[in-house]
Amino acid sequence: MTNIKHIDSVLKSVEKPGRYIGGEFGAVIKDKESVACRFAFLFPDTYEIGMSNLGVRILYDVLNREQDIWCERAYAPWVDMKEKMERYGIPLYALESGDPVSEFDLVGFSLQYEMCYTTALSMMKLAGIPIYSRDRGEEVPIIIAGGPCVYNPEPVADFFDLINIGEGEEVLLEISRLYIQMKKDGSYTRSAFLRRAADIEGVYIPSLYEVSYNADGTIRAFTPREAGVPAKIKKRIVADLDKAPYPEGLVMPYIQTVHDRVVLEVYRGCIRGCRFCQAGMVYRPIREKSPETLCRQAKCLYESSGYDEISLISLSISDYSRLRELTDGLLEWTDDERVSLSLPSLRLDSFSEELMQRISSVRQGGLTFAPEAGTQRLRDVINKNVTEDDLVRAVDIAFRGGKNSVKLYFMNGLPTETLLDIEGIAATAKRVVDCYFALPKPERPKGGVSVTVSVSCFIPKPFTPFQWEAQDSLASLRMKQQHLKEAITDRRVRYTYHDAEVSVIEAILARGDRRIAPAIALAVERGANLDAWDEFFDYDRWMSAFRDTGVDTDFYTTRGFGTDEILPWDMIDIGVTKSFLLRERERAYAEKTTPSCQESCSGCGANKLGGKNRWCK
Amino acid sequence: MVQINEPCTVRVKFKKVGRLKFVSHLDLVRTVMKVIVRAGLPLRFSEGFNPKPKLSFAAPLSTGVESVCEYMDIKLYKRVPEDEVVAMLNKNLTDELCALLAYYPESKFTELGFIDYRIELDLLSATEALCLDIEKALTSPLVIVKKGKGGEREVDISPMIRNVSCKLEGGKILLECCLSSSPAEFLSPELMIKALKDKLGILKEENLTEEGYTVMRTEAYFADMRPFR
Ligand code: SF4
Repeated sequence: MTNIKHIDSVLKSVEKPGRYIGGEFGAVIKDKESVACRFAFLFPDTYEIGMSNLGVRILYDVLNREQDIWCERAYAPWVDMKEKMERYGIPLYALESGDPVSEFDLVGFSLQYEMCYTTALSMMKLAGIPIYSRDRGEEVPIIIAGGPCVYNPEPVADFFDLINIGEGEEVLLEISRLYIQMKKDGSYTRSAFLRRAADIEGVYIPSLYEVSYNADGTIRAFTPREAGVPAKIKKRIVADLDKAPYPEGLVMPYIQTVHDRVVLEVYRGCIRGCRFCQAGMVYRPIREKSPETLCRQAKCLYESSGYDEISLISLSISDYSRLRELTDGLLEWTDDERVSLSLPSLRLDSFSEELMQRISSVRQGGLTFAPEAGTQRLRDVINKNVTEDDLVRAVDIAFRGGKNSVKLYFMNGLPTETLLDIEGIAATAKRVVDCYFALPKPERPKGGVSVTVSVSCFIPKPFTPFQWEAQDSLASLRMKQQHLKEAITDRRVRYTYHDAEVSVIEAILARGDRRIAPAIALAVERGANLDAWDEFFDYDRWMSAFRDTGVDTDFYTTRGFGTDEILPWDMIDIGVTKSFLLRERERAYAEKTTPSCQESCSGCGANKLGGKNRWCK
Repeated sequence: MVQINEPCTVRVKFKKVGRLKFVSHLDLVRTVMKVIVRAGLPLRFSEGFNPKPKLSFAAPLSTGVESVCEYMDIKLYKRVPEDEVVAMLNKNLTDELCALLAYYPESKFTELGFIDYRIELDLLSATEALCLDIEKALTSPLVIVKKGKGGEREVDISPMIRNVSCKLEGGKILLECCLSSSPAEFLSPELMIKALKDKLGILKEENLTEEGYTVMRTEAYFADMRPFR
């Protein structure tokens, strides 16, 4: 943004220029000469998506609370803007100051999903920053990654100087403080800084470790290169969410973003332990906020934003132990102020008439439930503790309450799955349709019934009891998709399914080790960017990038990992132990469910991380 | 005089300058709605299932154009002192988009007649001669092709252009003019510039980063050229 005329003409020629201008109410402006550390927070997806991200909102606030740190933002430009920036030599700039990202001290990427890796690398290129950590000179900012993806940091380990494992509120501050201190006392060099940062709990410095491999391609050892560097990297958590900083104001976008609303994080972690779910494991232990804290934060954010919707988020809201108090407290004022409450997810077994009345998104919107699998047997395998009776009960309440559309989420490719389970999905959907017609005619909501079945492909994610599983082959996934299509005969059931090709690539990026980095870099070189967008995802480009860099993709997908193997992510300690995951895996094969943390503790190991929480001992 | 506690309409004159010229009108409307809520103004909502604050704008500004004379009317359910309206709004706005003045109006937006524009053309060939050419082009018949329902038709826009002055200033061409802006006859400056482009061959696409222009609304008038209020 150095040449204003330049950028003006360019902005006039692109779609939605409002994404590239900054200047929002609530954006933090400081004097760059008087701060000691400039931090650029980069979100590897569009402005509309990034602005809605809670993690970015929290960390932007945490860093900018410090007088001597100035945190700014940058998002991935849309293709038209990216093309113009490349053509006219406009480097990626931060929205607050308009200064090139390459001039910052620290640059942090938030990696929310694997398919954003290529976007992150494209942003580095656009910023003029070498994509490989080893190619960066002293004058280049320290490039940091964090977010849910980095629990297996290895596929992108070579691209980042520093990786934040776990929650970032405290770690990012400690990193910035260390940077400031070392700059001040003159001890700063890139390598000296990274070496000292490695001592901060929750910090992983990939360049300080060496990975060696066996002849069969599995990992032989993961070893620190220097004495004193921790062999295991422990996930960092915020102990007490009631005391943790939470933004009091928001940066208010001018353009419409995906979620223009107040987001209230109710608790972290999950008591359930679905065996396919990575979030449920890596966010343990469960830590709740009190209703008092939540009500105060809600009011404060509403007043400073003017949003007319408050979204209560968590992995499963109905498991919040004080939900009643929370909704009571919020409903005291939200109705009068025309503010609605919304929930992103509901568990089948907790859907009730009361919730439907109290939460407007439940009242007004369509209903979505996630039984995840089509038969009770398979639901037991994945530990999704809901029954068909729960479903029938829930849709019955919904239909009686005047709703006539229901969306059901399932997965295919789950471990032990057979075609019977696939047919079970069709049968479950049919059962919902039957529930509608079981109502006496005058009681049925008008307009007929519509059931949408949405099926994604299972990916064996790191840090789940299924982390060792083989992924279904592309051919098998497609066959199952087709089989289900044929099994659904009721025309009131609509069937949508995810692109199986995407899940193959996602699996490689989620399960890979350091040897797939060159393939990611090559895909970027060949134009991969915004891969999370269907229109830009190119399976053939990915597969040829793997082929040309000598990566055997089956090794990471259909092979499955041995339980005695060193897994690429084994050096990360998320609290939950490998032995617990193995135990859970055995129970899965025995088709045995595991009680939720609320019913009894299964000794997953997350309690040793401490934290003020409800269920762990 | 409007009575306290009686529904009334307050008019806010505001500016939208700098980077925020890239905020589209639609986005501006959504933003202002939230700002009014944040500001805590006693807003009247529309009736119906999905109540919306009652808000209207005079002569919407096109994306990319700056202005120091925008007007919006906000319906309130009770009267708030003028300077308080400005203060309440500006606590929630930035320097690039903020209220300048508030008052209880006697006119309607449909009475708006003309708007002054200040246009800065940064051209590779900014010469006195070009200034004269521009002045001449804008004061003699200037035909554009308008696409409408009945196909394309030619329109002479020059009767909608007044008070043209064009001079060289600091290497740039400074063009000032007053454009008809009534609901019946609204001429956008972008349209006029496009006509100039076509006629004089300036601002070619290939010079995208070397040439450029900025447009600023500076003053609004009634049809009889009294300042708009
Ligand atoms: S330690 Fe026990 S209660 Fe805590 S998260 Fe693990 S299983 Fe649940």
